[in-house]
Amino acid sequence: MTLLPRSLGGRTALVLILALMVVQASGLGIHALDRVDLQRLAQAREITARSFGVWRTAVLAPPAQRMRMIADLDLPDGLTAEIGETPTVTPGMPRPPINVLRLFRLEQLADGRPPPPPPDMDDHRPPPGMDDRRRPEIMGDPPRGRLPPPFARFAPREILIANNGPFGFLASLQLPDGDWVNLRVELPPPRPWHSDTFLAAFILMTCAAVLLILWAVNRLTRPVRVLAAAADRLGRDVNAPPLEEGGPTEIAKAAHAFNTMQGRIRRFVADRTQMLAAIGHDLRTPITRLRLRAEFLDDDEQRRKMLADLDEMEAMIAATLAFARDEAAHEPATALDLAALCRTVADEAVDAHPDIAERIGYAGPEHLVLRARPVALKRALSNLVRNALVYGGAARLSLGAEAGTVRLAIEDDGPGIPETEIENVFQPFRRLETSRNRETGGTGLGLPIARNIFRAHGGDVVLRNRAGAGLTAVATLPA
Amino acid sequence: MDATPHILVVDDDREIRELLGKFLERQGMRVTVARDAREARRVWPLGRYHLVVLDLMMPGEPGLDLARWLRTQSDVPIVILTAMGEETDRIIGLELGADDYVPKPFNPRELHARIRAVLRRAPGGGEGRPKEPPARAITFAGWVLEPARRRLLNPQGTEIPLTGGEYELLLVLLDRPNRVLTRDMLMDLLHNRQAGPFDRAIDVAVSRLRRKLEDDGRNPSVIKTVRGGGYVLSADVVKT
Repeated sequence: MTLLPRSLGGRTALVLILALMVVQASGLGIHALDRVDLQRLAQAREITARSFGVWRTAVLAPPAQRMRMIADLDLPDGLTAEIGETPTVTPGMPRPPINVLRLFRLEQLADGRPPPPPPDMDDHRPPPGMDDRRRPEIMGDPPRGRLPPPFARFAPREILIANNGPFGFLASLQLPDGDWVNLRVELPPPRPWHSDTFLAAFILMTCAAVLLILWAVNRLTRPVRVLAAAADRLGRDVNAPPLEEGGPTEIAKAAHAFNTMQGRIRRFVADRTQMLAAIGHDLRTPITRLRLRAEFLDDDEQRRKMLADLDEMEAMIAATLAFARDEAAHEPATALDLAALCRTVADEAVDAHPDIAERIGYAGPEHLVLRARPVALKRALSNLVRNALVYGGAARLSLGAEAGTVRLAIEDDGPGIPETEIENVFQPFRRLETSRNRETGGTGLGLPIARNIFRAHGGDVVLRNRAGAGLTAVATLPA
Repeated sequence: MDATPHILVVDDDREIRELLGKFLERQGMRVTVARDAREARRVWPLGRYHLVVLDLMMPGEPGLDLARWLRTQSDVPIVILTAMGEETDRIIGLELGADDYVPKPFNPRELHARIRAVLRRAPGGGEGRPKEPPARAITFAGWVLEPARRRLLNPQGTEIPLTGGEYELLLVLLDRPNRVLTRDMLMDLLHNRQAGPFDRAIDVAVSRLRRKLEDDGRNPSVIKTVRGGGYVLSADVVKT
């Protein structure tokens, strides 16, 4: 079923178009059959009438010129006539089926009786078959030779008739002087599509219907796409504007439900943020007090250690608050030189770690401008660089743009991360066991915050172990 | 300036107030404390203060309102204590005319260093006329520096991030355009907190800043090198 379209709209359109094709095909079939019948009937009528014309010409023409005059006649498709001394129909040939005889109104010949009288081309009565009032007269008993004038002299001396194909027959009529008029009737194959305008109109109609279906399906499934887009937006920004609750009942209901859900999520996130902010707030005062108290400790060693502990606590609170607040969502986006940001972060890392300055650097374009939230992006980048320095002892930044995506890589020289853990480290408060010590510290929020920020920008960040040694953090941003 | 600067500390937490008072007194300052904006207004006329340390998060009248009121009274330097991450408070505070900010929980030594630096920069020491409001934007050579937001915009309006050192250096240079500043003067003005007094640090900071300003290092036009060891910011500086 790989041919089935993936989208709801595509599937609906496919079903509707298939149904339309079936309806059109059967309609066309019915029409064609009807047309074929009509065409045959008309051709049969014409052939019948012209056959009598041939006969009359043969009777009236002087025998010497008969052949030429018959040949000069402009006969319709399906009818050929010739004069011969012998009949083409020989005894023993099968008789044409009754349906063919009916078609040519030759039922009377079915049992070997003579044909109906030929129409008088000169009078203005309708051709045979069109005037049913004449039928009883014919159906009565039109014996040979007893036809009323002027028909009497046209009556053939003998009529032989034989089958010829599904819709044709052979007829041999003996002239008064003994020669035979041999008629070969063979209806041309029916051409139900004969009319160009009909086909054009049909194709036009089909195209119009298909276009209408595509338009209607597209319109009908648009709310689904709007809903999907809204869900996607909600994933990035819980404060995204609500959906418009209009349109058909079902759609309006779905939109309303979605908005209600978004409201609940927003409240939930707000409560959580509020709680974390409150904790952070309330911890500020005791930490400040402890800091001040530490300044009055006489034991320098104890004071130093206490201040270090407090620094660590503060860093954890700061990271937790930053994670909870999702600062990226509130900062306005502006034009930012990402290359300058990379250099800034690298320079600050050099200032903080002058001992490994040669292992910190930036390689890439001098300028790369994109729209971003500068404070948030700087935090994300600083987190990645800090991780690289702490766990990998190096931070080499590189920047490049390709196919609408900006790619930012940060390489370190560390041992890397086991492949099984390479996604887990992006979970909040997740730290590798080996790093849970005071030397490296860390809050377990650096990577989640960085990823949140990059994702809020429409990008992402992943980690990759390098074959040689070291880990590379690869961040992408839409250019 | 008096030998002992007089500091007014406004904070709603009693212990912090008292501990900070004791700490600053140990650093050789005179300290008066106030528990809230009302008390601050009450004690304000009773003394001549060289600097106010103001907590923005206080019950009752918000710290920002008190800062606004203080600005109508004098140009006394104000150092605000802001909540960590409360970007808007910090920006409003600086735009109101606070001279510096320290996020809470603060490091007392850092607060002391900031107070010292602000006192050094304020010549009058809290005397006389209310000073002009601080610049919202400083324009030079097509570039714009917004001190409250600590951001630099290039002539195309693109934000160019600066390191802390680059920002401080640029601010010092912009305060004294077209004046030669020796490395020693720059070291002094930058109240360099952690790094040792290496001349090289200044040179590195200048070369980094030049690169950010797209100022050709071999033929600089904005930050020019002066023979004999100094730098000069050569541009028309407009503060708005």
